[in-house]
Amino acid sequence: MLEQIELRVKGLNFYYSGGVHALKQINLPIYRNHVTALIGPSGCGKTTLLRCFNRMHDLYPGNRYEGEIYFVKDNILSPQTDLISLRSRIGMVFQKPTPFPMTIFDNIAYGLKLKGIKKRSDLSERVEKALVHAALWDEVKDKLNASAYDLSGGQQQRLVIARALAVNPEVLLFDEPTSALDPISTAKIEELTATLKKEITIIIVTHNMQQAARISDWTGFMMLGELIEFDGTNKIFTAPSEKLTEDYVTGRFG
Amino acid sequence: MTIFQRRKIEGTIALTLSTLAAFLGLFWLIFILGDVLVHGVKSLNLSLFINDPAPPGVGGGGLRNAFVGQLLITICATLIGVPIGVLGGTFLAEYARGRKIARMVSILADIMVSVPSIVIGTFIYAVLVLPLGHFNGWAGSIALSIIMIPVVLRTTEDMLTLVPWTLREAAFALGAPYYKVITQVVYRGAATGILTGILLSIARVAGETAPLLFTSFNNSFFSLDMNQPIASLTVTIFQYAMGPYDSWHEQAWAAAFVITIFILIITIFGRLIIRWRYR
Repeated sequence: MLEQIELRVKGLNFYYSGGVHALKQINLPIYRNHVTALIGPSGCGKTTLLRCFNRMHDLYPGNRYEGEIYFVKDNILSPQTDLISLRSRIGMVFQKPTPFPMTIFDNIAYGLKLKGIKKRSDLSERVEKALVHAALWDEVKDKLNASAYDLSGGQQQRLVIARALAVNPEVLLFDEPTSALDPISTAKIEELTATLKKEITIIIVTHNMQQAARISDWTGFMMLGELIEFDGTNKIFTAPSEKLTEDYVTGRFG
Repeated sequence: MTIFQRRKIEGTIALTLSTLAAFLGLFWLIFILGDVLVHGVKSLNLSLFINDPAPPGVGGGGLRNAFVGQLLITICATLIGVPIGVLGGTFLAEYARGRKIARMVSILADIMVSVPSIVIGTFIYAVLVLPLGHFNGWAGSIALSIIMIPVVLRTTEDMLTLVPWTLREAAFALGAPYYKVITQVVYRGAATGILTGILLSIARVAGETAPLLFTSFNNSFFSLDMNQPIASLTVTIFQYAMGPYDSWHEQAWAAAFVITIFILIITIFGRLIIRWRYR
């Protein structure tokens, strides 16, 4: 079966404002409706790469991209890219849960309101759908008007996922989404990625190699700003082509 | 004497001295508050609030003009000072974050906070009273708002800086433009802190006399015209306390009592909000 490519990274170099060359000549396909994991030791550039996909680096002056990332047909690194529409098509979930200081309902409705949806009935419908989607509905359906801060860490993280899902993104970026969570919450979010990938494309940065092996279809191993190897997850974890990859996945360093 | 005994004695001396110092500070505070309370309550009556001043020496009358004037000046000062302070603090914490200009303005605001208020009063006298040829209420409000601005600005800046940066990133990641990130997410996160700062700044200016003496001055008659001299409690207290009549002294006590209670209430309210915030 020929896989469809959602995002294609071509000759990507990234420089932080201080001049640090954080990503070096990255070439990488991201397949549609698949989970792609980025692994590697701390400081290898995996989060930096992830944050290129929604141009998060643009928030800080002086950062510089070179090369291209094609999202279907368009180069998202082009200066003409409308960041607001890009970010509503490529959502992001962060390491620590980031609920907004408002009610559960308003948290989910936030992105919808940004998209111009104002009718209360439309909002309610889509808030419910997003919460069901993120496997949180049953736990919060009776307290939609409670503060989002009243939820547990794991619930908050699923709330944030629901908030990202509510605007119907095509891609979701996960930046170590479970590193601040307990094992049960982690399992729930891992299950969630398996159902979500039927509809969207997922890229996940993780420190946890077992997690990458469990939930991803493709894995990229990065080190010192370079993509050492990219292949099917099975291949990476059982028969990697590169010695460095093998040393890393077998726990010899990192 | 062993070294342990000596340490124990030294400890007792330190404890005694610091306790004494604390009580000395508290003593004057309670003395002043108690004095205002005793004299103030004695002179407090309904006439004070519903009548305007009687001719000097006649007795009776009230300070309705001063209560209303004080309220008017303070409200106008708040309406001018708070938006400028909040927007300025937003600029420093958000748009100019980490830039040299933000550091500079912050430091200048800190200096402004400690500028004697009489200096601000004379400054406004020079730019808004002399050119117009007469004292006026607006000049008083603007003088007070200038005292408020650095206080509100610095609190807003500090409170916004406390909002975790990841919260902003999360809002950006949903495709929000910066002004919506600030108004809908960051302000909510910092709301109680900013509100407390605003309340404390109101409490701070409500008790100012010097800047009003040079700007809104005083008015023995009831007036709502901010273009004319307008009465205020603090200036009235000053004038009545210096005057020769016993009835004036009594009314000055009552006015001092009312304004102290007013400021106390605002301050307590501000503290309650802080406590509620960090509960």
